[in-house]
Amino acid sequence: MTPEREQELLKKLADSVVNYDEDMAREGAHEAIDEGLSPRKAIFDGLVVGMQECGRLYEIQEYFVPELLMCADAMYAGLDLLRPLLKAQGEKPRGQVVMGVVQGDVHDIGKNIVKMMFDAAGFTVHDLGRDVPLDQFVEEQLRTDSDIVALSAMMTTTMLGMRNIIKMIRERNPKAKIMIGGAPVSEQVATMFGADGYAKDATNALKDAIAMISSLKDM
Amino acid sequence: MPTVIFQPSGRRGLVDEGTNLLDAARQLGVDIESVCGGVKVCGKCKIKIETGFFEKFGIDSRLSNLSAFLPDETDYLNEEEIADNYRLSCCAEVLGDLLVFVPEESRGAKQVVLETGKERVFNLNPAVRKYYIEMQAATLEDHRSDAERIKDALNAKYGLPRELNFDYPILRDLPTIVREAHWKVTVTVWNRQEIILVEPGLVQRSLGLAVDVGTTTVAAYLCDLHTGQVLVVDSMMNPQVRYGEDVLSRITYAMMNDDGLEKMHAAIIDGINTLARRMTEKLDLTPELILEVTLVFNTVMQHIALGIEPSHIGRSPFTAGTKEAQNIKARDLGIKVWKAANVHTLPVEAGFVGPDNVGVLIAEEPYKEPEKMRMVIDIGTNGEIDIGNAKRLLCTSCATGPALEGAQIKFGMRAAPGAIEKVRVDPETLEASYKIIGRDEWYPELKKADVKGICGSGIIDVVAELFKSGIIQKSGRFNMKLDSPRVRKGEDGRPEYVLAWADETSIGKDIAFTQGDVRAVQLAKSALYVGSRYLMEKLGAQNLDSVTLAGAFGSYIDKESAMLIGMFPDCDLDNVLAVGNAAGDGDKLALLDVGKREEAARIAREVEFVETAIEPDFQERFAAAMAFPHSTDKFPHIEHILAKVGKK
Repeated sequence: MTPEREQELLKKLADSVVNYDEDMAREGAHEAIDEGLSPRKAIFDGLVVGMQECGRLYEIQEYFVPELLMCADAMYAGLDLLRPLLKAQGEKPRGQVVMGVVQGDVHDIGKNIVKMMFDAAGFTVHDLGRDVPLDQFVEEQLRTDSDIVALSAMMTTTMLGMRNIIKMIRERNPKAKIMIGGAPVSEQVATMFGADGYAKDATNALKDAIAMISSLKDM
Repeated sequence: MPTVIFQPSGRRGLVDEGTNLLDAARQLGVDIESVCGGVKVCGKCKIKIETGFFEKFGIDSRLSNLSAFLPDETDYLNEEEIADNYRLSCCAEVLGDLLVFVPEESRGAKQVVLETGKERVFNLNPAVRKYYIEMQAATLEDHRSDAERIKDALNAKYGLPRELNFDYPILRDLPTIVREAHWKVTVTVWNRQEIILVEPGLVQRSLGLAVDVGTTTVAAYLCDLHTGQVLVVDSMMNPQVRYGEDVLSRITYAMMNDDGLEKMHAAIIDGINTLARRMTEKLDLTPELILEVTLVFNTVMQHIALGIEPSHIGRSPFTAGTKEAQNIKARDLGIKVWKAANVHTLPVEAGFVGPDNVGVLIAEEPYKEPEKMRMVIDIGTNGEIDIGNAKRLLCTSCATGPALEGAQIKFGMRAAPGAIEKVRVDPETLEASYKIIGRDEWYPELKKADVKGICGSGIIDVVAELFKSGIIQKSGRFNMKLDSPRVRKGEDGRPEYVLAWADETSIGKDIAFTQGDVRAVQLAKSALYVGSRYLMEKLGAQNLDSVTLAGAFGSYIDKESAMLIGMFPDCDLDNVLAVGNAAGDGDKLALLDVGKREEAARIAREVEFVETAIEPDFQERFAAAMAFPHSTDKFPHIEHILAKVGKK
């Protein structure tokens, strides 16, 4: 494949996500597979680049939750075709994340957006859903030996529960990285609770997910 | 201990070193806006440090008398403000003497409340009733006790049950009162159960107080229980606003501070006492003449006002400590009215759907509508929706957030003088005209507008107008290709529409409605829309026959604007009605008619609560409902307006 054709394909994949065009994403993925573009490249230099652009548009408030969810649909349309090839080639997941909305809280859109980014970036995500009992985070982390535990809370009242989970995880497995996020969480809260990282608020969840991913790349 | 002085109120006092300025303000009784309750995420609590030696006050105020600038603060303060010694009061800790200026926009403003609901018909049948009796004097032959004598007379003359019980404090003066009155007394009986007052001679006047404790606003109605008339109406900002503006930040305050619940409980009780004193004073009377109090509130305000631990109501599964209606002695709560008076609280429906929604229901009575599909929305920080009729009535609660009340909006404020309350945007010129609270003329006719911000009804108007004129698209995104100085990129590079230029304002800067503000309104209106659609589906209803908009700003709201942005499903606009504070009306009805209390108990049990946020397709629907008015649902009744949208 010529470098020009490769660039063209990668741009098509990225654009399909930005323009939330599922058909175009599928078409681009098929073309990539047929023409022998590495699935890894197609995902990370195509789809994920598109998702990062969505993140930027979200950050400057041009895109909003509906657009993001549609972008995600397009991304998954491409990912569903490309990911099995990645696995077949013996590509290992980049890492494992345990994720969930803490007990008492049922607001999970922010968490779903972050999850989508981890998915895209090649992580294995163990999504515990919402209103997750505190113990379950600890048990799931130990069971899967995940690198990261990501906790989300939308309400100040439930955010307070994060402190206990962090303490419990630290006691059982001091190596696990803990990230917290959600509308009421701030850097102070993250520091006070002893987390390793934080996503500033729900509206910035996507951007922060990207930041988390790039910091993990360096790990 | 350092001295801190707040201007313009001039309040001063000593505070512990390390106290943040927001807490210092609370301690000294200064109201600073704090939407988030001091967790550094709202940026509303900006203050300015005045530096120098102030001889008049005897203090040397220096910037170095505050803790270091935090990164969080740069998110909310621009360079100019930072250079001008602005800080966020929740971030800055006191290390030495300080003179602090609270700018107008950060001050807790005086609220304008809708106090006039619609006329409602009711039976005058209060819980508290007066009975005049004349008794035979005690003799050696007839040595019944004074109490027995009263009970016998009440039974003989009015058929009241013999098992009446005297509230203990009444017994203490009883022997003196009956004798001084020559055995002719007026006895006040509560609910045909309890004697709460014995007065000499014939007395008719009987006062009751209905209080609607809102998260933001407390509205009170002093009523004559003998005539059913409302004598005085008054309101105040909920004094707990100092501890956080929404219910969750108040719960958090209670969870984070050992004395948090106690402080907030004391604040609201003090507020109610102030109202009772102020309102009776207007009639040259005293609060001791108030013989019954009724309260409505949302479930969180209920818990705090009654001093019940509120932590568990703030998290899933959102269980209340108690749901039943209560009758509590006013003295047990510290409410200073007649010492034997009772406080009646309406019941809770479920979770966040509290006594205030029961108040709305007994005022609006959708359960008496035989056929038609009625919808009643009570708009507040938490929106409550009821849909149905006599056959079946469903309710749900939606986390709308405080955007529709002016919080989380860049120049948002509560409904107070100086707030923009109505907006029109010319679709040709894209020029704005607006009306502010407290003035009759509209800008631009109004020359010196002194605008301070924009309140809930103005927020709904501006979004609808921006959409109608094509400045924002159906998706909520600004159209930046328009040629108007009002449509621009703000300091942060994000799109905004300038509603009022700096010289029209009293805050010295352009008041703009930003892309982020549009997004906050989209989240709120989408929550309401999705909630109502779920209820309609569960009822099998295709259409709504009528929509009632209640809420502290319910009757200022422009119903066409509300429908244009898609706050509720399509309905004939002629059948959309704004009724004002229906919760307060329900509270008054419960004060004046015990029948309404029975109705409240019944309806609180019968209305079916639906938890909508956990529906599997909630996220999808929530996203679809964010467009104006909706991405797919049709609005035939406003089709003629929608057809013209964005077409110059």
